[in-house]
Amino acid sequence: MGAGLKVKGRWLFVAISVASLLPVLAFLLIIFWMGFWQGSPGDPVVYTLKHYRALFTDGSTYRTLLNTLGFASTTVLIALFFAVPMAWLVERTDLPGKNLIFALATIGALVPTFFTSMGWVFLLHPRIGIVNKFLMELFSLEQAPFNIASLTGMGWVEGLGLSSIAFIMIVATYRSMDPALEEAARVHGLGILRTLRYVTLPLTFPGIIAASIYIFTIGLSAFEVPAIIGMSNKIFTFSTFIFYKIQPQEELPSYGMAGAVSSLLVVLALLLSWGYFRTLKFSHRYAVVTGKGYRPRLVELGRRGWFLAWLFLGSYFTVAKLLPFLLLIWASLLRYFQPPSLAALEQVSLKNFYGLPWNLLFQGAWNTVLLMVTVPTLTLIVCLAISWTVLRSGLKWRVTFDAVAFLPHAVPHLILAIAAVFASLFLLRDVVSLYGSLAILIIVYTISRISFATRIINNSLAQIHPELEEAAFVGGLPLWQVMRKILLPLLRPALVYAWLWMALLCFRELTMASVLVTSQANVTLPMIVWGLWLGGSLNQAAAANLVVLAFMLPAVILYLYFGRRSRFTEVS
Amino acid sequence: MISITGLRKNFQSGDHAVAALQGIDLEVQRGEFFVLLGPSGSGKTTLLRSVAGLEKPDAGEISLNGKIVFSTSRRIAEPPEAREIGMVFQSYAIWPHLTVAENIGLVLTHGRSRLSKADAQARIRHALNLVQLDDFENRPARLLSGGQQQRVALARALAVNPALLLMDEPLSNLDARLREEVRTNIKKLATRLGITALYVTHDQVEAMVLADRIAVMAHGEILQIGNPFELYRSPSNSQIAEFFGSINWLHGKVLADGRVDTEIGPLVIAAPRQYEGNVVVGIRPEDVKLVAPSAEVENRLAGNVATSFFLGDHCMSEVKIGATVINFKSLPDDAKTAGAVTVHLPPHRIVVFPDTESKQSLQPK
Repeated sequence: MGAGLKVKGRWLFVAISVASLLPVLAFLLIIFWMGFWQGSPGDPVVYTLKHYRALFTDGSTYRTLLNTLGFASTTVLIALFFAVPMAWLVERTDLPGKNLIFALATIGALVPTFFTSMGWVFLLHPRIGIVNKFLMELFSLEQAPFNIASLTGMGWVEGLGLSSIAFIMIVATYRSMDPALEEAARVHGLGILRTLRYVTLPLTFPGIIAASIYIFTIGLSAFEVPAIIGMSNKIFTFSTFIFYKIQPQEELPSYGMAGAVSSLLVVLALLLSWGYFRTLKFSHRYAVVTGKGYRPRLVELGRRGWFLAWLFLGSYFTVAKLLPFLLLIWASLLRYFQPPSLAALEQVSLKNFYGLPWNLLFQGAWNTVLLMVTVPTLTLIVCLAISWTVLRSGLKWRVTFDAVAFLPHAVPHLILAIAAVFASLFLLRDVVSLYGSLAILIIVYTISRISFATRIINNSLAQIHPELEEAAFVGGLPLWQVMRKILLPLLRPALVYAWLWMALLCFRELTMASVLVTSQANVTLPMIVWGLWLGGSLNQAAAANLVVLAFMLPAVILYLYFGRRSRFTEVS
Repeated sequence: MISITGLRKNFQSGDHAVAALQGIDLEVQRGEFFVLLGPSGSGKTTLLRSVAGLEKPDAGEISLNGKIVFSTSRRIAEPPEAREIGMVFQSYAIWPHLTVAENIGLVLTHGRSRLSKADAQARIRHALNLVQLDDFENRPARLLSGGQQQRVALARALAVNPALLLMDEPLSNLDARLREEVRTNIKKLATRLGITALYVTHDQVEAMVLADRIAVMAHGEILQIGNPFELYRSPSNSQIAEFFGSINWLHGKVLADGRVDTEIGPLVIAAPRQYEGNVVVGIRPEDVKLVAPSAEVENRLAGNVATSFFLGDHCMSEVKIGATVINFKSLPDDAKTAGAVTVHLPPHRIVVFPDTESKQSLQPK
């Protein structure tokens, strides 16, 4: 569609795009601006560079930087350790039960990390962890052999949580590779292992690196694991450090310090995103679309191979998802946490469930449901406008729209939320009262999902030939009618998938809620769980967690039924 | 060289099984250039991949060079790396992370032969010389054009000195002009090196240029095996006749004297009488001759030229005989582009098949 085409009503679409993308830029500016503030908001504004100096000279800040790097690296290693063999097994061997693996991986990606984190504390905490207690008793050890409240421990939990996403990304790498490349090695005499070493691995390497950078970026700004496991043990990463500066327990909030650390984190994340795209582009050079219908020759594992492969997969799913879940159930039934024993069994009761703050839970459930409905809907409306502006408007600045729409992916969500809090408290206070309202949650959640939704809609819209719309324009339909009658029906599968996925992400969102939720009016379910946990009622938190999961279950089933089919139908 | 007996393979497509190979028997002689020809979905690629070991058949036996590499009754299924083959893929499968020389070197140093670096170097040079890519050794493979990749793929397959060369539609991704050139080069190279080749294509011209013998396949079965001339002149059924070029069909009935009574009158047929009742008779456009109205020949018919197209090296005309249209081909200088003509259908050029209602076409839909 040429730039000359004046479609009736296109300015409405451009206006919606601008209105939704301007806050993204505003949030970034606020963060950079915050980093130069001397005092607290409310004081007369004095600008300073002391926070940036402290960033690199102050011991605790520097340690936080090292902690974060160590945590993110461990996360990548753990995620790849499970994801790469799993992807190879699914894509290149005759292992039975592949649909099950995909279903488990999808569910795995949906299990909230704050959920598994609590399970791991019950398992491996040096004082209460049952594995530690058991081993100490068995070998009469002085010290607990494992410590989940360490960088390695936290990286382990985060890595297990992100392994599902890494798996899905690496599967995509395998799929974009022409299987004939491996077959050519086999027919000319290279065995399975040599083919793996000289052909498969070198060719999938850029894809694996890209996935690593992606996971590393998430690890840098990950909040839930450091918040659940690290914070109570004074191990800070960037995200918890920023959070602590905003909501300290003993001192005054230091927005300046939070702004400086956030700015550093934003720059790092943007650099990494750039690296991610460079690597991805490189890996696409290896991608060949064959158009051939055949599946590659599958490596025959034999019964022993199947057994070993499923032993690996089974242990992984058990350790990553099932074990934390079982521990939470066990913990929820006890008043004080203790390893399973006959004496403990006698104390099992549902008292924790009775004692839960049910009024608060229902309020939280109501708010969460409101978010699940409004946020995905709003995001899709906004992103349809953005994608249309980027791909179809013929506007001169459309590439800029696309770049800004990508920012919420690169910028840590906690930082978006902090900028929003800052804006609502100190800039917009006299205009509109957003602080502590559900509206601020809706706005920030929506902005944070713009990248995800525009990526999905862009991909689908690019596959719809512009002539389909042009034919309708020529027939005299206005833009909104073309959208309603032509584009929406054609985009529907992608929209349904994106809506459901975003709804589920709303349900489990703790990171942004941690700074945005400040009152009972806008409390969400994950916040209630976290509140109980921080307050020291670990067993009640476990019970609340199970209740939250029970609320989430119907949505997951809906997703698996409607959303997943459109993604993984080619797997047989 | 290749001996295949009773090969069967089913594919699971959704919830129903599709028979890709329905009991294939095939013998290929040493030094023979053998082409598997058929439309997509005919099972030709599945057959080739089964010989390579990339597909596992459900039943049957394959032996290569006197050695059984696959047999369900003897529970043998050699992996691809244990078979003495070289293969050219449709997508060429040139490893994009290696140079041209490394693409060939990898299979020499880490494949079946495990040559030393120095020995491999000599073989790489020789192989690249065969495909006229002498100066390309250090070129990164992803910088090659499609035609160059195709040649590297051929060089790689030949470098391992395979007992059998397999090729899966190696020319289908080249543009038309290049395709003709490469086709000729492959034929010359194969003749010069005396290699045994199994070659898959859906293009009958390609098959006729390259093949010593062709197996025509459809729906997982071999319909006919023969050299190009036999397939063109004595097709075993109407689909094969159509597949190898255009042909005029006439419906008719076999008369008591052996002639066939058609829409345009009774025709004399030279071929021995094989069928009774309803039949179709066919004659190719280039076999239809223009004759003088008084010529003393059998099957002489008067008609009118309806349309005529000049195509450079020949003319294609439609002649109307009563209500029936017959296509005929003539040299441009002899062409009659309008008016009354007399055509002659030589009896020895007419083919006859039973008239089956459900004539399945070999052409892809």
